Amino acid sequence: MDRTALLVHYLTVGTCLLGLGVVGFLSRRNLIVMFLSVELMLQGVIISFAGWDRYHGQSAGQVFILFIVAIAAAEAAIALALVLNLVRVRQGLDVLRLQRLREDILPPSIPVDEDRREAEPPSWPKLPRVGQPPSIPSEVLEYRPGV
Amino acid sequence: MAFLIILIAAMPLGAAILTAILGPRLLREYSHVLAVTSTTISFIASLALLFVVGQTLARSASQGEQPVLERVIQLWTWAEIAPTGGSPQIPVAHGTVDFLRFQVPIVLRVDPLTALMLVTVTAVSLLVIVYSIGYMHDDPGYWRFFTYVSLFVFSMIMLVSVSNFLLLYVFWEAVGLCSYLLIGFWYRKPAAAAAGKKAFLVNRVGDFGFALGIFLIWSVYGTLNFHDTIDPQTGEVYSAGVLGMARLVHPEQGLLHGGVATAICLLLFAGACGKSAQFPLHVWLPDAMEGPTPVSALIHAATMVTAGVYMVARCMPLFQAAPHALTVVGIIAIITATMAAIIALTQTDLKRILAYSTISQLAYMFLGLSVGGLVGVAVAMFHLVTHAFFKALLFLGAGSVMHATGGVIDLNEIGGLRRRLPWTHLTFLVGSLALAGLCPFAGFFSKDEILHIVYQKASVSTLYLVLFVAAAGTAALTAVYTFRAYFRTFFGEERVPPEAAGRVHESPPVMIVPLVILAIASTVLGIVLGPTKVVEHFLAATPSLAAFANHGTSEHVTGSVNLVPWLSTVLTVCGIAWAALLVLGPATVAQPVVLLCRLLGLYPLSLHKFFVDELYSFLVVRPLTWLAGFAGWIDRYFIDFLVDAIGFLPKLVGSLLRSSHNGWIPWYGLGIVLGVLVLLAAMLF
Repeated sequence: MDRTALLVHYLTVGTCLLGLGVVGFLSRRNLIVMFLSVELMLQGVIISFAGWDRYHGQSAGQVFILFIVAIAAAEAAIALALVLNLVRVRQGLDVLRLQRLREDILPPSIPVDEDRREAEPPSWPKLPRVGQPPSIPSEVLEYRPGV
Repeated sequence: MAFLIILIAAMPLGAAILTAILGPRLLREYSHVLAVTSTTISFIASLALLFVVGQTLARSASQGEQPVLERVIQLWTWAEIAPTGGSPQIPVAHGTVDFLRFQVPIVLRVDPLTALMLVTVTAVSLLVIVYSIGYMHDDPGYWRFFTYVSLFVFSMIMLVSVSNFLLLYVFWEAVGLCSYLLIGFWYRKPAAAAAGKKAFLVNRVGDFGFALGIFLIWSVYGTLNFHDTIDPQTGEVYSAGVLGMARLVHPEQGLLHGGVATAICLLLFAGACGKSAQFPLHVWLPDAMEGPTPVSALIHAATMVTAGVYMVARCMPLFQAAPHALTVVGIIAIITATMAAIIALTQTDLKRILAYSTISQLAYMFLGLSVGGLVGVAVAMFHLVTHAFFKALLFLGAGSVMHATGGVIDLNEIGGLRRRLPWTHLTFLVGSLALAGLCPFAGFFSKDEILHIVYQKASVSTLYLVLFVAAAGTAALTAVYTFRAYFRTFFGEERVPPEAAGRVHESPPVMIVPLVILAIASTVLGIVLGPTKVVEHFLAATPSLAAFANHGTSEHVTGSVNLVPWLSTVLTVCGIAWAALLVLGPATVAQPVVLLCRLLGLYPLSLHKFFVDELYSFLVVRPLTWLAGFAGWIDRYFIDFLVDAIGFLPKLVGSLLRSSHNGWIPWYGLGIVLGVLVLLAAMLF
């Protein structure tokens, strides 16, 4: 297999992944799935980088790949934290619940259920705040089963 | 001299600034202290200056030469624009090297004309300010009053002592500003505010002409200085001033003649008309009565209306070079004098009568000036000095009456006050006699000299014969209206307006003493200055007038049997008698004449001031109101429409694009993707 055909294969796969990612990002309403689609797009780019790297016989592409992987990992951490917060506020993964950005005079795309949110406070598991010692209730501290 | 003139000018300025700063908090009811002190110092310095000038003149006269005195004190240069390029040659025959550089030096001058004006201005101002201590007592704007008055006095002092047309214009405007502030002093009173505005706007019309005249002088003569600038190294005249000796030695070559000269003089006279309330622009002065009475006295006597007379007197060489302009001055003067006298006959507001008499007397001064030459200036200045004293006296007397009657000055509501106000009555009588021009009083001498020189000129020109007849008639009218006001105020049945609240009282000494001093001056000044012709001899040493001195004085002495004084005395006595008959005599005597005047249409003409205000309202105010209404309509419905239309455009575009802003995140994602595709397409093709 000559180098050009190999490159075409690489690029075909990369483009397919990118296209799938775009379609997924645009068509799905689940935030996590949309985030996965973005990852898919990144993988498509990475593969085309790998193909070009192989084609030119240099290692610059691999450097980029490493960078992208690192950035994707960081991005995943931030994005998942954001998703978690949004879900906490909006009680759901549906992206259409995030409709504060619209003009006020336009109708909401899905009905806004304000009452339910007010009535039923969310009870998601809470992590301790960063940079502060966890506050342990005094009953727990004073309970010494061994004494 | 330099020290004295700077002292005279600086004192009131310092008083104005200090009173403005310290008045509202610190001085309060003592705000007059600075104004009185500074004006006293200025007055003493003016007297000293007059004395020094007189001595210098006497010394040079004793050496047998024709005395000419001019001291120019340059303080600093206000504006200097160096020439850029341009040829060093003198551009026109009348021009000077100043054409190449625009330079405005701040210069004060001392000459007999200035010295005379300074003494008059400071003397009358001092008395008026002392009087105001009593009159303005307890006014909430006490400090404001003395600030304005000090500024007013400063402006007038500078106006008569600067030596440059541009500076003259500056202080001309400063005087107008102060008059605006003081006429509208009681600014909560709508009539006072309107009168202040009227004074300012009417003056502005004249000032526009004055400014044009100054532009024309600059473009023709190339300098605005009165004096010659002398090169300190060579001692030669570096730049000949408009009214300097270098030009006036040979006025035929030095000064411009013909049409342009006439235009300059007429434009300058337009300014004088505005400031000195002559015929087309006289309407502001009667309304200026709305201000406090001391302000009226100040404006009428010392610090405002005399500015026009002074300016024409100062520019007499220019007017002499344009005889047609002098004729115009004479015609305007006689129209004003007669008209104002006729109007004053039927007015019932005492201060308004005095205002019209001021207009009439100023017209007399212009009549004297229209004769031209040193004689004209001398009689006009003489009348200016005497008039300043007796008109200040009359106004302050009227103020004293107002003080007693609770501010009422309408002749229909007051009367028979001579027993209640003995001092005011006596001094007012002296002022009235001086204004009417009865023999031993000041007005007789000065008015008589004006009539005399007009009569002499009548042998040369028929026009002046007409002027003389009209002026003599006006003299009789003056006596009638003055004594009509006098008799109705102080004689007849005693009438006291309800505003006085039964507390009609003589004014305090601080008001009476200035009245007495002014009365003495009004009595004595004429005899002292009149027959000796001292004013004329004194003014002959002014550089701008010295050129006329030789052929001016001689004709004055001739005239074998002088009938003019007798004529004017007879006319005055007749006028006084007629006024007495009209007011105090039986109704049957006066009634037919009044009826005749009514039938002839003179009475309503006089009562409505010749309908000049109505005419202006119809010709100027009404069209301007319409124009303003039209402009307002255009502004509201056309310009505002354009602005609104432009403001509507973004709204329209926004409403079109609003539906794309639906808050739907996949929709925004699609936008990003499509944008990327467009960019890619743009890169590829």
